[in-house]
Parts: sequence; structure tokens; C-alpha cells
Amino acid sequence: MSTSSAIRPGGADGLGHRATVLQVEGVHKAYGSTVALAGVDLTVAGGTILALLGPNGAGKTSLVSIIAGLRRPDRGRVRVGGIDVARAPQRARQLIGLAPQETGVYLPLTVRDNLRFFAGLAGLRRTELRERVGAVAAALGLEPLLGRRASQLSGGERRRLHTAIALVHRPALVLLDEPTTGADVRTRAEILELVRGLADQGSAVVYSTHYLHEIEELDASVAIIDRGRIVADGVLADLIARYGSSALELTFDRLVPDVARIDGCTVDGSRVRIPTPDPALTAAQLLPHLGPHADALRSVEIVRPSLESVFLTVTGRHFAPHAVEPVG
Amino acid sequence: MISLRRLEVILAHEVRLATRDPVPVLVLILFPIITMAFLKPAFRPALVQSGHPHANGAEQVVPGQATLSAFFVVSLITVSFFAEYAWATWDRLRASAASSLEIVLGKAIPRVVMTIAQFAVIMTTGIVFFGLDIRGSALALVPLVVTFAVCLVLLGVAVTAVCHTAQQAQAFAVVGMVLFGAIGGALVPFSVLPHWARVIAPITPTYWAMHGFTAVILNGNGVGGVEAPIAALAAMAVVFGLIALRRLRFDDHKTGWA
Repeated sequence: MSTSSAIRPGGADGLGHRATVLQVEGVHKAYGSTVALAGVDLTVAGGTILALLGPNGAGKTSLVSIIAGLRRPDRGRVRVGGIDVARAPQRARQLIGLAPQETGVYLPLTVRDNLRFFAGLAGLRRTELRERVGAVAAALGLEPLLGRRASQLSGGERRRLHTAIALVHRPALVLLDEPTTGADVRTRAEILELVRGLADQGSAVVYSTHYLHEIEELDASVAIIDRGRIVADGVLADLIARYGSSALELTFDRLVPDVARIDGCTVDGSRVRIPTPDPALTAAQLLPHLGPHADALRSVEIVRPSLESVFLTVTGRHFAPHAVEPVG
Repeated sequence: MISLRRLEVILAHEVRLATRDPVPVLVLILFPIITMAFLKPAFRPALVQSGHPHANGAEQVVPGQATLSAFFVVSLITVSFFAEYAWATWDRLRASAASSLEIVLGKAIPRVVMTIAQFAVIMTTGIVFFGLDIRGSALALVPLVVTFAVCLVLLGVAVTAVCHTAQQAQAFAVVGMVLFGAIGGALVPFSVLPHWARVIAPITPTYWAMHGFTAVILNGNGVGGVEAPIAALAAMAVVFGLIALRRLRFDDHKTGWA
């Protein structure tokens, strides 16, 4: 019996509790001596968005690949809709819609044929297939392009088609691996809007990204992944309340002078970050004491509690999407 | 387990992709026909000398060129896999509900059919325009061509399995075609090949295909004349299939077009 109809978006019990769609338990993965995932646990319910946040190389793509059944974990287990992905990959995949990081579409085929192919593989037929192709094309602004070959699309249009393919069969679990990478402003806005809509309709969405502002825009739950581990997770507001801190950040045109190195600060070459509940007051108190070093001051920034400050608190490093460098 | 509905979807998809760019298939049909026109007279003396006084050259050049051009299917099947890497659709396909076997069959079956159709067109052209006279049972050629097509397609899957880049696969496919074509007696009559080539020829599928064609077309045999070639081609197909089964890893990192 196919389980694809058993777990469909929108599933909630009579009390309004959302059913768990994704369960990741103790997943480990190493490539040779490089540890990509070191014991990851996650649970995602239908109707929710989980943003996987981490710099490049943190393990996001490895985790998404394992959830989608493209790679086997060395240890641990992944269940989608209660189905063990390693034991019954085909059944589990019927519940999953994956948009990998790299844009993947059949360039010689039309937008319609691309969508029809993946809808057909997911088991959709005739009227339902036509309706879903039409609906997903409309949601991503692809309707006027349905008859156009993918090779003739712009980069942004291809990215929208790439995302549409993942959604065409209305999967219970949507895996979007950095979906807005390389997307233009319009495409990015449409994708974020679509992700919100998917969650509203009951899908569980795992949204891997290294763009902090997207998570804030989506108001998603967050799992911060760093060096293969989930170092913090929870609702965005809770995380900011728990780990976020305001700070004063000063940048000099030379190494930070001793006078600016207050207890508890973190120093990164010419930049010093001073955690403080009242950055404006701290600035008013500190700046007169800089003396001759004031000439070397290039910028003064008040940092409000944000996801970035959460990342700094839990990892000890500034969030840099493309690099993982220690601070101070 | 294979889902026939999913297989049907993949088959239709592969046919759609092939028809979006029909040029390779058309070239593979036109190329041997053009070649047949100027090679036919050159082969007549060799056939006469090897004991076929009534031969006109078509008996060698038609099946020879058909066999040679059929070998291009090895290249086409590797392209069908490596294109997925180039388009970054391979992971999408793997993440779909389709099984590995459905994906391989979906790519292989249309190429087998295409190769059989290619043979049919070239042989018919040979009969109509080049005076090809099939002295034995033409029906005996059907299982021979089918087995040869399956053997070549499985060779293509095996080549895909062992190669990591599209360039490697193309090199294997093209060199294999020329080398196997020459040694197997498709490029020139088997009788004019040096002794050492004739000794090693039976390791090539081309040799057995041409052996079967010669038995039926020149020597006037029926099904009995193609039994041994069919058995040899089937054995090779099994070997290629086993290599593919053992080496084709769907999570291998391969490069489409570097």
C-alpha cells in the first residue's frame, strides 16, 4: 500500500497538534577523515518551517542529502512520515520534494514537460497532474513560460522552475537547499512567499540557507548547524531572547587599542565587539576615553539582538557564510 | 520491484529528450548509407576471392556499416547518463520515487529499440538501393539484431559505470567502436584481416554480429546459422550487465561535461 496518501500536507489532530513529518535521530556522516555530521537530531512537524542555518561546509547539504535518501548516514536514522528512509527509500521519497542546491532542470525540455515528468514520477495522472502543474506554475510566475524550453529561460526563471519541480506533487516534506542562491530579487521574494504558503497548507519545510535575513523574514524555527552539529535550535524569537545580545562594535584603521579592550569583548584584528545591554550608553562612556586613538576610529555600530548575535553567542564566531574563522 | 507506470513515464521522457534533438539519430542512419555507396565496389573483389563469386559487395558493406553505426549507441547511452550530471538533474531523479532499475531500464529500452530500427532502415536501404541479396532466412536476422542491440546498450551502461567523466566515456565508446569494428570485420571483410586480428576477433561483439550476418546473407543459413553468434552476444551482454550491476553506483560523483 502506498503511504503517499496517508501523510499529506495539512495533517493535524483534533487538538490542532501537527503531526511529526520528519524525525532525524543521531545522524553521523563522515567523508574519509572529514566529519560532516556528528550526531544530528531534528524533528519537524507539518505546517512548520525549519531553517537550517550555517556557513558553507557546516553540514547543511549533507544533512539534506541524507534526509532525501541520496546518501546513507554512517549512523543514525531518518524517518519521513514514519517511514525509515534507509529501509524504504522509494516509499519515503514519495513524500519528499527536493530542490537541491544546484539548479537542476532538463534544458532541452519545456517548462511544462519538466513539471509533467516529475509529477508523473510522483504518481500524478491526467487531471490531477494538469491541475498541479498549472497551480505550481501559477504560484511561481511560470504560467507564461510553460511552453518555453528551459534552455531559453533566464537564470531566475530556471531557479523558479527548479523550485517548482520540488513542489509539483504537493509533498508532505519539502527540502529546499539554499533555494535563493543566485536568485534575483523577484525570484527570491516569490520563493519566500511560496515557502510561507507551503507551511500554511500544512507541509513541513526544511529550508537550508546562509542568509540570516531570510530566516527573519520567514519567521521560521531555526536550527543552527556548525561543524556538523546542531548548536542551537528553537523558535527565532526564543533564540534571540535566549542567546541574542546587543553590543557596541568599533572598527579602527589599525589594531584595536588597549583602551577599547573591555572585559568580555571579542577582538577581530581592527574590530572590537563589546556586549552590553545599552550600547548607546556604553558608546557615550567609552568614546571620550579613546584619547589620541579616536583619530584611528573608522566606525561605531550599535548591534541589536539578532540572529547574527545568536550565532556569535553559540559558536563564538561571527557569521560568515563562506568561511568559518575564529574571532579574537 | 518495477512500477510499470513509472517506467512508462521515464520511457516517454527519454523519447521526448531524444526527439528534441533528432540530429544524432539521423546522422547515424545517413552516415552508413553514404559510406555504403562508395565502399561497396571496393569490397566485391575480397568477397569473390573468399569464395563468393556472385557477391556484389553489398553483402559486406551493408551489414558492416549497419553494425559499425549501431556501435554509436554505446556513446548515446553514456551521454544519456552523463547529461543528467551536466544538467544537475541526476540527484533530482534519484530523489524521486523511481528506483535505480527503473531509471536504467528507462534509458536502455528506447536505445535498444532505436538500434533495431536503425538496422531495419539500413538493411532495407541496402536491399532496395544497393542490391543486397539475403540468401538465407531474413527472419533469422531479427533475433541476431535484437541480441546485438541489447549487448551494445549494456556495454554502454557498463562504460558509464566505470567512467567518472563524460570525456572518459566518450573515449571508450569511440575507440571501442573503431577498434571493435575493425577487428570484428565490420569495417573491412574479415578475410583480409591479419592473422593476429582474426585470432582475437571473437572477443568483440562486432565479430559475432558479422559472423551471424555472413552466415545468413552470404552462406544462406537460417536460424541455425545465428545460434552460436546469438549465444556469444548474449554471454557478452550478461558480462556487461554484471559489470554495470557491480560498478554502477548511483551516488558516485561523476562529471557531465567539464
